Formats: sequence, C-alpha cells, structure tokens
Amino acid sequence: MGEAGQRLGVAICAALAAVALLLQLVRARSFGTRPPVAEPQGSALRGILYAFGPGMAPTAKESTRAHPVVYALGVGYHLGIFTAFGVLLWAVRGVAAGAMPTSPLRPAFVALTAIGTIGGLSLLVRRVRTPLLRAISIPDDYAANLLTTAFIALAGLRLLTADVERALLVGAMLLLLYMPLGKIRHCLFFFAARWNLGRHYGRRGTFPLRH
Amino acid sequence: MADSGTLDAKIEALTDDDLARGLDLFRSKLGAAGAVWLQTCVHCGLCAESCHYFLTDHEPQSIPAHKLEQVAAAFRGRYTLAGRLAPALTGARPFDRQLVRAWVDAAFGRCSTCGRCSLNCTTGVNVPAVMRAARATLTEMGLIPADLQQVVTTALETGNNMGITREDWLDTVQWIEEETQGAVGDPAARIPVDRQGAQYLFTVNPREPKFFPLGLQASATVFHAAGADWTVASEGWDLTNYGLFSGNNAEGGAIARNLLGSMERLGCRTLVIGECGHGFAAARWESAEWLRQRPGFRIMSFLELMDDWFRQGRLKADPSRITDRVTLHDPCNTVRQGGISEPQRDILRRCVTDFVEMTPNRAENFCCGGGGGQLAMAQYRDKRLQAGGVKAEQIRATGARIVVAPCHNCIDQLMELNREYKLGVVIKTVAEIVADALVLPTATPPAEGNHDVAS
Repeated sequence: MGEAGQRLGVAICAALAAVALLLQLVRARSFGTRPPVAEPQGSALRGILYAFGPGMAPTAKESTRAHPVVYALGVGYHLGIFTAFGVLLWAVRGVAAGAMPTSPLRPAFVALTAIGTIGGLSLLVRRVRTPLLRAISIPDDYAANLLTTAFIALAGLRLLTADVERALLVGAMLLLLYMPLGKIRHCLFFFAARWNLGRHYGRRGTFPLRH
Repeated sequence: MADSGTLDAKIEALTDDDLARGLDLFRSKLGAAGAVWLQTCVHCGLCAESCHYFLTDHEPQSIPAHKLEQVAAAFRGRYTLAGRLAPALTGARPFDRQLVRAWVDAAFGRCSTCGRCSLNCTTGVNVPAVMRAARATLTEMGLIPADLQQVVTTALETGNNMGITREDWLDTVQWIEEETQGAVGDPAARIPVDRQGAQYLFTVNPREPKFFPLGLQASATVFHAAGADWTVASEGWDLTNYGLFSGNNAEGGAIARNLLGSMERLGCRTLVIGECGHGFAAARWESAEWLRQRPGFRIMSFLELMDDWFRQGRLKADPSRITDRVTLHDPCNTVRQGGISEPQRDILRRCVTDFVEMTPNRAENFCCGGGGGQLAMAQYRDKRLQAGGVKAEQIRATGARIVVAPCHNCIDQLMELNREYKLGVVIKTVAEIVADALVLPTATPPAEGNHDVAS
C-alpha cells in the first residue's frame, strides 16, 4: 500500500472509530433515560460547568492533590495524544513532509510528544510495578497504553524525520481500530460521564464543591 | 454468619436461567447514565485512597475501580461486541456464580454507597449509582442479605422499620410531650399529633422513639421555642427508607408513598425530615424518581429549618453553655448526596464556643462506615467497624469532646466506633445541641400563623 493509500486507510479507520464510538453511546442511551423529577436544589448547568471546569483542576480532588506526579503524567500523556493527532492530521493531508520541518511550532510539538511519550511510559511502568494497580488491571489497560504511547512516539519522530511516515500511519490505523474496543472509548465516554455526574451533583447543590 | 451461609447456598442453587435473567434485570436497573459510567473507568487507581474500606484493609478488592470492574466485567461479556469477541483482552466475564459472589461482596460487603470515590474519580464515574443497580439486581434475584431485606419488609408491613405499634408511638409522643413541658417550663408546650393543615409535618427515625427519646424531646423543644405550627403524624411518621439500600425502587416507592401520604392526609405544607441522612436523600431526592411524580409540597431537612429560624431570630442560643470542643460529622446522604452542608455549620457556630472541623469535611467527608445499610447487615459487622477506623481517627485528630452527627445511622455507628476505638466522646444530634444552647422564650410564643402575621 502506498502512502496515499495509507492516508486513505487512516481516514477510513478514523471514520470507523467515530461511528463505532457513537453507536456505543447510542447503545448506552438505549438502556433508558428518564428525566429527573425531584425539585432541583442547585443548578444542573452549574454542576456540568463545574465538572468540566474547576472540578478537573488538580486541586479540586483529593485523589489528584495527593498524587500530583501521577496527575502531571496523565496531563502530559494527554497533551502528547492531542499533539500526535495534530501531527497525524498534517500527515494525512499530505503536507507534513514539506511544512512540518519549517514550522515555528515544531520544537513545541516535539517537546509535547516527548512529554506525552514519557507520560505514557511512566504510567505503564507504574501499572506494571504497583501490585494494587496490577490487581485492578485487565489486558486492555496494557494494550491501550502501548498502542497510544507508540503512536505519540511515532508522531514525535515524524516531526524529526519523514522516514517514519509509514510507521506513523500504520500505528494510527491500529490505534483508531482499537479505540472502540477498550478503555480508549473514554475519549468520548469521558464527556458523557462527566456531564451526567455534573448534572447529578449540580441538581443536588453539591457541585460546585465547597472546600 | 448464618446469613452469609444462606446467601452462599442461594448462589450455589442459581440455575443458568437465573443467571441470564439476573443480567437482564441488571440492564433494566442500570439506565443510560449507568451504562456510560460503567464503560468509562480507566483503572487509574486514584480512587483507592478515597475509600474508607481500602484505607483500612488495603485489599485490592476494596478499591472502587475493582468493585466497579466486577460489575463491568459482566456488562462487557453480555452487552459489548468487543467483550463477546475478545473477553480475555477486554476483561469480560460470564455472569456465573463466582462473579455473582464478587458482586455481593463488592456491592453489599465493601461499599456503603457513600459516593466519595465519585468525587475523586478522574473520569467522573458515579460508582454508587452503579453499585445500587447491582444491589437492585441482587435483591431481585433474592441475594440480598436477609437482615437488610427484613428492615424493608418490616417498614412495608408495619409502617415503620422497627415495627413500633401505633399505640407505642403515641404513648411515646405523649410521654415526651410531658418531658418537654417540664424541660421548657411551659405546660402549654405540645407535640401535636395529626393537626390538620399544620405548616410543618415533622417526621422521625424510629430509633428516636425506640432508643433515643431525648432526641425527639430536643426536636420538640426547638419547635416549641420557634413557635412553630407543626405536627407529627399518628401514621406514616417514619422517615427511613431502606429501599434506598436494597435498590428495590418499587419497595422504596411504597415506603415513600406511606410517608408522603401522611402529608396529603393532614394537608400540611412542608415535610420536615428529621436528622437522618438516608431518610433525607430518599424523601427529598429519590422518592420523586421512584414514584415518577414531584410532590406538591416542599420537603426540607430539619437542619435547614432550624437554620432558617436562627436567621429569622425565632431561635436564640447562648453558646457559652457549651464550651467543650465540638466537631461535626457530615453524613454522606445529607451532604454529598443531599447537598446540605452549611446549615448545620451555621447552627453550631451559634450554639457552641469551640467548633472545629474534621479534615476533610463537607462533601469530601469520609463515611463513618454505617451508611448504605451496613448497620443492618450483621455479616459485615467486623468489616464495618474496621472501615470506620478512618472516621475514628478523624474524630481523634480534632480533639473534640462532642461529635455532632445529624443522622441516626451515623450515630449508631459512631457510638460503636466510640467504644471500639476508645474515643471518649459524646455523640449528639444537632437538635440536641440546639436544645442545650437555646435561650427559651419566657412565655408561650404565638402560633406560627400569628407570628407570621405579626412580623
């Protein structure tokens, strides 16, 4: 398969992933939605805004306050993921080879993918080395991390050399195809989960939290 | 442990059809939000230290993500394509007897549905909502601990969860009315029963008439001092609702209907839920969902009402009467799940001289270990007391002499923790503190209607 074919393959895999994820969300909705009846005490909207805003700050939760390094690794990991998808977009559009080496943003993107790769690998090592984390892990946890971290690393390398273009595209296809199968589905479900949580606690007046 | 043996026998006796039906039941209990939450956990493990069970036993089975995973594994095996095609990769498991045991252990044995893990979840999973769906499924499969179900059944059969007869209830009310008259020095002080059209219908946890009548006296004293137009009901006076813990919405709805029905019968305007966390959450938040109907009257916590009265100047306190250090326990169902965190603090600041917060507090509070119906399930007693160790250490760290807990389940647990961990504290309700600090009016105040007109 030529590079053009691979680019098309990535686009098809992305479309498949998007459709599969959306179908899963639709299927989740088929489990039944019932609008809440009880008189609200607070505001669902304020709860949702809190859940997606201040509620995600590292200081908002004891779990992240107590584990700032893990939180930072997670943030770095996700920054790397978003950057890698940016690089992939460039690559799929076929402008990468010419544009990226000269882009003034390139050093920043290289740094972000490096941070993302380190974040992903660190979280993987943490999972492997921590008995309690191993106890709550399933094979998907390792597979999802490896695929994602490899994708970030390939995107970072692609910023340095065009030699890894094919590897990046293949890695991206694998990642996209895997996305709806396991925990990476949280790329969509995260938003639905926090929406629901924010609405629940917002109506009750618990969100925004008082400290 | 007999109940544990019975449960084991019931699980062993499950047929393949029972198990398939169980998972169908689970689907019907979960709802769309639950299905989303169940598929969003990323196993980051940061929830572990938010759980009082894990903090005290350090077992992986007590990590909220692990508890959630037991339920999610069955979900994936049945309801996701990836789970059916690649169960080993996705952690999907058949809903077999082994997994049913894990559900019972996770949902009943290691979770008080306090919701602290949800606030600490990095992705926003509402763990207690999923655990309640699992409990609901197990309950319909007949796999609920018998003593927990018995509380529900007693409430359905007798109108209150302790089987107190109407005569005993009314005798207790009369006795407490006389005690209140003596305490406030006013023979006109009343605990009205079935007063039609009263502003407030006050509802009670059966533990008060049964074991803590002074709690009822404290509440009556506060109503008297505020000059409130209030009443208790001769029927439908029990505010508790263990349907919240069993997960059975039909039974929870029936118990709620009994309580709400007394409002309609008496034509009162505001339903006041006494100091009981789960009772408040069930009446204020869940009953409307179970019955799919919003009540036509306000439901409020007694904490809110007392705070309102202080703000209006209808209650006055002398904080110099309570100089011991006081701390406050935040019941999960009142605060985290109920949204009531400040009224009790405002009240205590008016009534005591040395109020100190536990750390953490408010919605970030730790469960005392007695929530989620744990007090009713004898087979988990040791685990419950162990899990309460976190709360015990919180209390000890405050140096408080008095622990105020606006919840009777919490009070029962705290009393056990007091003995188990030798805390040497006194445990009181907010109303008891208010009654101790109250500056009583010198004469019988006017009835509320007159008061409102006069003001």
